[in-house]
Amino acid sequence: MGLRWYHFAMWAGFIALMYAMPELVSKGTLRTFIFANFLAVFAISWDVLSGRTGYISFGHPFLIGIGAYTTAILTKRFDVAIEISIPIAVVVTMIASTLFILPALRIRGSYFALVTLAFMELIYQLVQVIRPDLTGGTRGMSGIQTLTRGAVNGYYMSLSLMLAVAISMWLLMRTRVGTALSAIGMSEDSVLGSGLSTTRLKLFAFLTGAFVAGLGGAFYVHYLGSIAPRALFDINFVFTIIVAALIGGSSTIIGPMVGAFFLTYLLEYLRPYLPGAERYFIYGGIALLLYMYQPKGIYHIVMQAWERFKPGKSA
Amino acid sequence: MTQIIIQGLLLSGLYALIAMGFTLIFSIGRVLNLAYGAYLLIGGYVYFYFAQMMGMPKLVGVLLAVIVGAAMGLAKYRMIVKPLKGDHVAIEISTLILAIVLQSGVILAFGDSSKILLPIIPGVERLAGATIPYSNLLAAIVSWAILISLYFFVNKTHTGRAMQAVSMDAKGAAISGIDSDRINMITWGISGALGALAGVFFASYTQLTPSMWVAPLIISVAIVIVGGIGSIIGTLIVAHIIGFMEIIVTAMIAPELRGVFTMVLIIGVLVIRPQGLFGREEL
Repeated sequence: MGLRWYHFAMWAGFIALMYAMPELVSKGTLRTFIFANFLAVFAISWDVLSGRTGYISFGHPFLIGIGAYTTAILTKRFDVAIEISIPIAVVVTMIASTLFILPALRIRGSYFALVTLAFMELIYQLVQVIRPDLTGGTRGMSGIQTLTRGAVNGYYMSLSLMLAVAISMWLLMRTRVGTALSAIGMSEDSVLGSGLSTTRLKLFAFLTGAFVAGLGGAFYVHYLGSIAPRALFDINFVFTIIVAALIGGSSTIIGPMVGAFFLTYLLEYLRPYLPGAERYFIYGGIALLLYMYQPKGIYHIVMQAWERFKPGKSA
Repeated sequence: MTQIIIQGLLLSGLYALIAMGFTLIFSIGRVLNLAYGAYLLIGGYVYFYFAQMMGMPKLVGVLLAVIVGAAMGLAKYRMIVKPLKGDHVAIEISTLILAIVLQSGVILAFGDSSKILLPIIPGVERLAGATIPYSNLLAAIVSWAILISLYFFVNKTHTGRAMQAVSMDAKGAAISGIDSDRINMITWGISGALGALAGVFFASYTQLTPSMWVAPLIISVAIVIVGGIGSIIGTLIVAHIIGFMEIIVTAMIAPELRGVFTMVLIIGVLVIRPQGLFGREEL
């Protein structure tokens, strides 16, 4: 897998820094970090499903929402223990993701993006109408059992989740399967021509993406303790996830994490000046400029700069 | 029954108008313009600002909305679509970001609350128990007039045929001496103008809110997908299928389900017949 000592050193340094964070920053900042951690999980999951294979999903909240709703309904309405309901939620999300497979086998590009958008709108409307006694209808649910109390515990929980996801996805993407997934994004026909089954690879990418999305959604709802359809199945949420993955750097693991932290911070930083949804004006503007300047994201910009100023290079 | 037919016709006319600008871009530029809904948003608010806040004549308000819409379309082509050189994923994502930026720009300028747009022509007509507001009737008539003229423009005029040529094969069109850049500019301009006009009518049909761009975008997507690429007639027919479906579902089953069947239709058509019901055989 081409692992080097400096990989371990960098991960170890990163993990140590992140776990030391509660000692360094205030409680308020820590709450911002929690959201950044969850956003990073969602962005990594989006990147596994869409960023690598090139099958852009605009319906990612569909998967997150299914995970979140499943565990919320199980724990609140049927008194199932969280330890059981979260794995069930993940499995249900993975099953639901196979709905994406059917269109993905036949259509590519923009059409696939549109189907996923349609799936998200569909579930948004169905959640409000079908069995409101279970889903809580338009108003959603509150008073869902939470896993942690207080900012510090919430931070450790979300951080551990993000690191577990990031490291396992990082290892996975260094295997041959990961390479094949990225190859699909470049040229699906070539992958097919190399004698690999693109259907199985796509299925694998979708199931992995759904696994992470369901896990993230389930933990997120048990952190928040409430769930509402409008906040979840929202195009603004899609936007936040996709932008985090792309601005940070698609097809990398560190990229979506950088993007999530950068954007959550930007949003928090703007809060004193623009309290409401107007913040997205600046936020979106910066995202648009960065994206137009370098579609490969911050990771790529940093790497280019590093290449240019690398010590000991004559030129 | 009469009521369903009348309301269905009015709603379908409005939907056809909304989808028309989106079809143009999707057929000719082969670009998924996710910021299309933002034309409607901006068109509605420009009309609101000039006609209702400044008290200008309503026709001037509509005209200004159309001009701003066309200018937005041109600017979007120049500043986003052209520099990205046909990278579809990049265009989709940057137009999505742009739509969010414009939405929050509107919130910044006009606030988060929804506004009621005064009807362009006040008054209602009663016919066989159905209430028809004059502005909805006007929307349907305008929509039909535009559809017919657009049909003739695309099929009969030189520029229209050049647009078709570019949509089929940009290289072939260039060899035949068509300036595809100019054709693209025209298409984006028309699309923006149509979107802004549709926005004025759509906003008076529902209301003016900063998030009003999502619903028309999804309706346009549905109509274009089900109708198929490059088919104005297909757009018209499918606008009626979806319009009537929504009215019938609202009247007979439940108002909450009105969008559900549209989504099922999109997903079904895309999976079973990806080129749409009336589109060209390709993909």
